[in-house]
Amino acid sequence: MNRKISNILILVMLSGVLLLLTARCTKLVEKPTDFVGPNNFYNSPSQIESAFTASMDNLFGGWTFYDWYRYPEIFDMDDQVYEGDLVIGDGLGNDCWSKHYQSIADINPAIKAINDGKLTGSSQEVKDQLMAQAKFLRAWNYFMLVRYYGDVPLILENTNLVTGEITRTPIAQVYEQIVNDLLFATQNLPVTWPAEGRARPAADAAKTLLAKVYITMATAPLNDASNYVKARDMAKQVMDAGNYSLVPNVEDVFKLESEFGTEFMWSFHNSQEEYVIEPQIWLPGEMAGGWGDVKTERRWGEAYPEEPRKHAYLLLSDVIYGGGTTYLDWWGNCPYVRKYLYDTPENLIKNVSYECFPIIRYADALLLFAEAENMVSGPTQAACDAVNQIVNRATGGVPNAADPLFTTSMSKQEFDDAVIQQRNLELCFEYDRWFDIQRKRILDKVCDPIYLQNFSQDDYLLPIPQKDLRLNKLLTQNPGYTNPNGK
Amino acid sequence: MFLSHLSARVWLILRCSFLLAMLTTIQLSVFAGSSATESKSGVNTLIAPQQVKVSGTITDATTGEGLAGVNVVLEGSTIGVMTDKNGKYSLGVPNLSGALKISCIGYTTQTVPINGMTVIDIALTAEVQALVEVVVTGYGTVRKSDVTGSVSSIKTEQLLQLPTQRVDQAIQGRATGVFILNTDGSPGGNTLIRIRGNNSINGGNDPLIIVDGLQGANINQLNPNDIASMEILKDASATAIYGSRGANGVILISTKLGKLGKPVIDAGYSVGIQNLARKLPVMDAASFAKYNNFYQSFQTQGGQTPKYYFTDADIAYYEKNGGTDWQDEIYKTGVMQNANLAISGATDRLKYMVSTAYLDHKGILLASSYNRLSLRANLAADITKWVDFGLNYSYTSEKYKSPPFNSDQGDVLFQPINDAVRWAPTEPVYDANGNYWRHRPGYGAYDTWNPVATALETKIENPTFQNNINLFLNFKPMKGLSLKIMGGGTFSNAYNSKYENTKTRNGFAMNGVGTINNSFYNMYQNTNILTYDNTFGVHHITFTGVVEDIFSTSTGSSMRGQDFLVDQLGTDNMDGAKSVSVDSWRSKRALVSFMGRINYGLFDKYLITLSYRADGSSVFGENNKWGYFPSGSLAWRISQENFLKDSPVVSDLKLRVSYGITGNQAIGPYGSLARLGSWFRYPYNNGSNLDIGFGISDIANPNLKWESTSQSDIGIDVSLFKGRFTSTIDVYRKVTKDLLMPRQLPGYVGVSSVIDNIGSIENKGIEILIGGDPFFGKFRWNTSFNITINRNKVLDLGPGVDRIGYTPTSGGYNLGSDYMFLEVGQSFGLMRGWKYLGLWRADEDAEARSYGQLPGDPKYADISGPNGVPDGQVDGLDKTTIGHGYPKFTYGWTNLFTYKNIELSFLITGSYGNDLFNTLRIRRETYEATDPKVWNYWTPTNQNTDVPALYDGKYVEDQLLVNKYIFKNSGGATSRWVEDASFVRLKTITLAYNFEPDLLKKIGFSKARLYFTGTNLLTLTKYTGYDPEIAAYPGNDATIGVDLSVYPTARMYTFGVDFTF
Repeated sequence: MNRKISNILILVMLSGVLLLLTARCTKLVEKPTDFVGPNNFYNSPSQIESAFTASMDNLFGGWTFYDWYRYPEIFDMDDQVYEGDLVIGDGLGNDCWSKHYQSIADINPAIKAINDGKLTGSSQEVKDQLMAQAKFLRAWNYFMLVRYYGDVPLILENTNLVTGEITRTPIAQVYEQIVNDLLFATQNLPVTWPAEGRARPAADAAKTLLAKVYITMATAPLNDASNYVKARDMAKQVMDAGNYSLVPNVEDVFKLESEFGTEFMWSFHNSQEEYVIEPQIWLPGEMAGGWGDVKTERRWGEAYPEEPRKHAYLLLSDVIYGGGTTYLDWWGNCPYVRKYLYDTPENLIKNVSYECFPIIRYADALLLFAEAENMVSGPTQAACDAVNQIVNRATGGVPNAADPLFTTSMSKQEFDDAVIQQRNLELCFEYDRWFDIQRKRILDKVCDPIYLQNFSQDDYLLPIPQKDLRLNKLLTQNPGYTNPNGK
Repeated sequence: MFLSHLSARVWLILRCSFLLAMLTTIQLSVFAGSSATESKSGVNTLIAPQQVKVSGTITDATTGEGLAGVNVVLEGSTIGVMTDKNGKYSLGVPNLSGALKISCIGYTTQTVPINGMTVIDIALTAEVQALVEVVVTGYGTVRKSDVTGSVSSIKTEQLLQLPTQRVDQAIQGRATGVFILNTDGSPGGNTLIRIRGNNSINGGNDPLIIVDGLQGANINQLNPNDIASMEILKDASATAIYGSRGANGVILISTKLGKLGKPVIDAGYSVGIQNLARKLPVMDAASFAKYNNFYQSFQTQGGQTPKYYFTDADIAYYEKNGGTDWQDEIYKTGVMQNANLAISGATDRLKYMVSTAYLDHKGILLASSYNRLSLRANLAADITKWVDFGLNYSYTSEKYKSPPFNSDQGDVLFQPINDAVRWAPTEPVYDANGNYWRHRPGYGAYDTWNPVATALETKIENPTFQNNINLFLNFKPMKGLSLKIMGGGTFSNAYNSKYENTKTRNGFAMNGVGTINNSFYNMYQNTNILTYDNTFGVHHITFTGVVEDIFSTSTGSSMRGQDFLVDQLGTDNMDGAKSVSVDSWRSKRALVSFMGRINYGLFDKYLITLSYRADGSSVFGENNKWGYFPSGSLAWRISQENFLKDSPVVSDLKLRVSYGITGNQAIGPYGSLARLGSWFRYPYNNGSNLDIGFGISDIANPNLKWESTSQSDIGIDVSLFKGRFTSTIDVYRKVTKDLLMPRQLPGYVGVSSVIDNIGSIENKGIEILIGGDPFFGKFRWNTSFNITINRNKVLDLGPGVDRIGYTPTSGGYNLGSDYMFLEVGQSFGLMRGWKYLGLWRADEDAEARSYGQLPGDPKYADISGPNGVPDGQVDGLDKTTIGHGYPKFTYGWTNLFTYKNIELSFLITGSYGNDLFNTLRIRRETYEATDPKVWNYWTPTNQNTDVPALYDGKYVEDQLLVNKYIFKNSGGATSRWVEDASFVRLKTITLAYNFEPDLLKKIGFSKARLYFTGTNLLTLTKYTGYDPEIAAYPGNDATIGVDLSVYPTARMYTFGVDFTF
């Protein structure tokens, strides 16, 4: 018996030694199996494309652009959105900054991987097309950023930025990068994508975007008028190619079947697989449980010329459910936006909608051409023809004194003012108006006079987020905003 | 070394099997041993011829009754006999020399020389085991008098005084330093346990719970009847031996084993009836309709014509027929039943306890329920003098069902608890066809859904299963030395499903939508404890050495389907959904530890404890896998000094001092590694089908390491007049540094933050426990009062960050930006916003107008402007502290009165100085008002009110006021909605009757007890929401203090019986 016990004891001692050894040998090194890191990714075209998907997903959520609770607050400052009071706090647009940079952080590693030759099995054409998409997306993100903020950090490679402090790159240099990226995109993107890739940006989208970049460079703050020619030529290329055209009837511009029609060139999309949007933000409370988050400034809505386009783009009465109410019965007595309410009433009442938000459409190309052509050569027939396509569609071809056709007898300035106004009407609530106000420096002229007391020239740029200023002392703040570093 | 080539898991399994094999071997030898004993006694009952007879009676020294089954053996021989049922024995011996050895379980063995006597009567004294009260500490036990750290003990008797079926609630109000927060009142709902404050922001603040040595238990899964004792370890001296898991305190739970003697059966049953403890006031249908019309009559801005939704006929109809009381529709009487049965017993070599309990709880909210089946088998056996063996096994199965009621179940605005007090009382539950009514548009709350439909048609079912197995072998090769090898594990599975059918809001939108989450969790633990305990003259020394290894894996998958072809099948038929998305995960974590501890006592007066632990954890950065946690404590038993030793007043007086460092490793695995998220979905390619996006989500941090908390504690234990008065007072200070927190990154990095060790938090406090038995005798009063004062302060949040904000609500409350904060120099639960000063008075007209307001409008403090002085505008610069979510102190008072067979006990708990942000009021008192108080609106003749004036819209427009209240989308963040949530509550009161033992004996019972308990019968508070004690837990301790309309508490009346036989 004692022998047995001592045997057991020996076993115990042995096991103790074993335990000590194995405990030390237990691997504390982690080898995750349910995710990858950046170092073992970006090895195939579909992995590269997944980076583009992520980059777009960062910018577009359930409700609207940037997934904001309200129609982007930053556009509260324009004259279209209700209560644009020009009071701009230090926090305004902060999410916008980080979301675009997040998007860029997804794109840059893809560009680097292609440059590093990680796509070994793919043809040069495939690589170029992927690179062109990446550069298009990056250029578009920087185009948004440089217009919101002016000088911005230009990050082209997402290396270890965590410790590195960087400075803001001057506007001109940011534009140079945008133009280079877009030139590559215009040359390497296909004219059309096959059906399974129809939502990707194609060459004409890149050209139209580039035309818009040029025209922005021609106006404030760079004011480099030499870009008007480039803008005109680029827009003309799109028009001459004939790949796109206006949807004939203004009622049909925002319709489900138009999402991939002749006019929308590149858009944010809601998938029909997944419930992603609450159209209630666009509906007045008096209709189908609307939330009334986005409404027009009443002054602006009422001044909109009476024409078929007004009823197609704005919601002036309950045309969807036929409840008989008009906007004067609604809270705030102002028209709402109809553009994004084209899904079926059944879906809308279910809080579901599959509509898309156009980022670039052919109407914009025509307007850009007209504006640039006028600035280069005055109100030529070509300029008038381009913009009149839009006016005619808006009025249904019926002459309308409130929205007259453009003529070559207009002065250059008259034409320019009119074309900017036409953009205001045609591209309303498409995230465009603010940038026109900004590049033409007309905020004080268009804003509601009661808010004029809040206006200053500093309002044309958004504040650099306080967080970034705090964490990187090399960053400077835009004028008119506070800097936590005291500068 | 070849060992290193094997994976950790393989080794663990090998070791566990080794342990099992050993146990099996030893079990076999137990059986072998016991059969030998039987045959021995069989031989010895024979009386050989030519012998002298010795006889007598063995009695119990205290009662004088004869003892049956006592072994009487002639020492040094195999001759022996057992006493009969009257305690008599008769034994044949060769001669009348020698001695008899008399032994019986539970009594002290005696050896009596025969000395020529033939009749020997002996009275046995019961073995005194309980004389020395023992306290369970980490990896061992110590005499209570030798404790040098701060430990709160709760014994099983205390638990039974105030019956509850939940262990966490049993602790509430009884232990100092422990803050228990009910995060909801649902059946099986959650509580947060915080020991000595909040030490961490993201690392987790839950204490480590250990049941019979097995770490990481879920306290809610325990059957309270199984608990023998609970020890709450608070200071570093007590917790540092748990190193990286000890920072938030440790709760050690020991479960019961049988006591010597015949098997005991304990059975109990209780049934409780529950009702909503407090109903919120809501207008009746007629009043609501009138108010709505009244409110509309002011809507004349912009030349608008007021639009009246209710005709006079409608109102007359509501006056006659009433409307719907939505609270009555969704809250019903709840029933809670509990049955438990345990069999326990022990022989001299084996102790056992087997128990089962079933709890069935139907909550007060429609369709909410919880049931729990628990099984437990505890076994301890002495294999030889050298070795004993033990087994603890427990099984728990729980099933939780509920309508959605929390922010993690979607937007609270659409949940029944929130909607029941917002939906118009004019709306019926069903339409004429029996379908759920949909709120008519145009008035009342718009972001809602029929509360009854949401409650009945959303199916949330969360069954979980858990097995805990724990085996140990304890070797005692020589006096004072023992080696305990323990191996065990926790194996659990949860299957959470939720289906919203087409009658719910989401189901309607998506044509049925459901999710299933299926997860498995396995934890293996191997602990090896070497203990040497001995006394050398005046020196008492205990050495403990531990090697421990814990390894866990967590795996799971989830599915989400929408657009179901057959609505009634739901998540049980996921392939019937048109669109399904899936996810899966697997993670592993390992912890390796070495620990040593020395307890040294000199003259039983001067006590010292030193411990040191080294932990290696897989979850930290490659440069910082190991952490080291030392602690030390001293205690001086002043009452043992000569000048106090014989004091009639002071029975015990002890001074304790301790200091140590503990850690927190509660971050998920892989937190230090770079990661691409694969959850991005966007229809990038063709605009219709979602594509998978892989995006940057985390960047690597190879330096990530432990949070470390250093804690110092000074305590004093006093006992006067032999326990008539006892008191324990502790003062502590804890500083946690290297907090595991997201370090903010500039927005241009593309990732908003990286987990890093930044920031620091301080908790300091005083805990006072006063108790005793003021009356002792026929009428006995046992009382205990405790108060816990904890002050929490954020010391540092990392470079460039002095404030971190949280928005625990989603849309709908006008709370679009952060209003809960962590701020350097402030405590957790800080609420910031605009200070509400009441309504503008009539005589303040001019001043009100300068802010664009009119008399009767809410008035907010203009505190500062860009130049640091009030600037005539209330905007972001005027935000200030508007509330604190944490109490200044909490207290509990337990009382037990005993008179003859009657017991009365009650528990009062309370909290002082905390605020709650009552979000529900924001909507109930504004334009879609349902609260009747809105009728008491301001007028120049009714200025003494809190309800703003109603002004004609056109009139306001004509005043051409320029609004200087610039709140943007966060106008809800004002102190108007912050309320004092201090309360005093009669938590439970119990009246019990214990039947006479003599009476019971006749029917075969040894104990029987009847009791009535009332829970939450009385609450004194100013808080106007459902319950001041309840707060939603939106996932972060920093946001405690926001009431997001969670499941309200119930009032309960319980009747129960307990039997022992």
